[in-house]
Amino acid sequence: MSRSRVVISLLAVVVAIVLQTTVFSPGRIQPLGVGPALVTLVLIAVSTQIEAEYLLMIGFTGGLLMDLIGSGTLGLWAMTLTVIAYAASRLKGRFGDGPGYVAATVVGLTVGGQVLFVLLGTLFGQETISEPELVRKVLLPGAWNLVLTIPVFWVLGRAFRSTPGQWAA
Amino acid sequence: MFSSSGRRIDRVTVLFLSLVAVGFIVATFDVRSSGDGVAEVLREGTQSIFTPLQEGVDFVTRPVIGFVDGVSNLAGLRDENERLADRVRELEGQVQATEALEEQVIQLEAILGLAVPDELATVAARILSSGPSAFDNVRYIDKGSDDGIVAGQAVVDEDGLVGRVDLVSAGAARIRLITDPVVSVGVRVLSTNETGIVTGRGDGPLRLEMFRAKEAVYEDDRVVTDGSRFPPGIAVGTIRRTAAAEVGFVLRTDVDPAVRLSQIDFVSVVVGWSPIDAELQDDEDSLSTVGGG
Repeated sequence: MSRSRVVISLLAVVVAIVLQTTVFSPGRIQPLGVGPALVTLVLIAVSTQIEAEYLLMIGFTGGLLMDLIGSGTLGLWAMTLTVIAYAASRLKGRFGDGPGYVAATVVGLTVGGQVLFVLLGTLFGQETISEPELVRKVLLPGAWNLVLTIPVFWVLGRAFRSTPGQWAA
Repeated sequence: MFSSSGRRIDRVTVLFLSLVAVGFIVATFDVRSSGDGVAEVLREGTQSIFTPLQEGVDFVTRPVIGFVDGVSNLAGLRDENERLADRVRELEGQVQATEALEEQVIQLEAILGLAVPDELATVAARILSSGPSAFDNVRYIDKGSDDGIVAGQAVVDEDGLVGRVDLVSAGAARIRLITDPVVSVGVRVLSTNETGIVTGRGDGPLRLEMFRAKEAVYEDDRVVTDGSRFPPGIAVGTIRRTAAAEVGFVLRTDVDPAVRLSQIDFVSVVVGWSPIDAELQDDEDSLSTVGGG
């Protein structure tokens, strides 16, 4: 069992949150006014490297951190990223089918996660569903995550290479 | 059939459902406590941990991003330069006219014995980071309670109202932007001098509601703070579309924010004014009215 893989995964999520709130924040790198959903992408990327239980815990923790430094209700991103982690743990077995499957998973889970967050936000009294730029905010992170898939998977692949062998899926 | 892999899948599903349930409870708790108490302490603690990391990344990446941004905007800079040169010439003319008016105002104040209030004290701050998702309408600044910043203070830039301070730690503070749906601003339409409330909608234009409006508001009319929640006279935006008041109905229209919220880099926190000042002033006014009457 490799605890270092869990630690690397958790650190990757924290780094993703820091980059999301600085480099990909408004006024910096945000093509068309919306940045990528980097934490979602990192979660999908590490799904092949750690066991499903740990992936769920990391998804929940990362989501809670996002909630704590965001402006919305606590727990919404925690629930959203837990669902994404669960879906990724179920879909990762087919990542070997080809890059098209990975790309579809990245776009699908990113956009699905944004939609789920909007629905949960609406359920808990936020007005996210009535935002004027809603469609752009839901769809564009999927497109940017697709663009970033190769570099993020490559960087995390390098980070995990030095750790003991991969767990069985 | 329950194979070992079947048990593992069940364990994963149980954990998944448990975590979602915990998330649901946390969200319910947060909504019921209105984000105060334990949640506020946790938010402050988390931000204290993230601030040094964000400052480090910001320090390293800002020059690179600025350079890339500058190169990509090179074509547009020439047009912007010419536009700004025209604007400077126009403003120079206005400054000359204003100087003459200032002289007159000083003379009139001296004649009437009016006390001129000092300019509001402000603390300049740099935008350090934003919220982690596209649905967050917050910015973090690199100044906090150590610099005299407290929750509720107005945040402005050279164009107008940016938002209000929402959460403060020793070295950083969170600003809730005026586009956030939970932020309401008491405003006055300059052309009619009537008041209303502007509320954020998450993004894009703000929503203006005027409950006792008698006159119509027109496109490009300027909207400023009325002094109830923020210092008076700060530019909030301009009316996007003309709207007329109908008897018995609320006048509703959209307002384009004066500030380009996606472009802000530096802001000023107004530390020399609080809503309490306005309330005290109102109390003094009412007392003097009662005393005078």
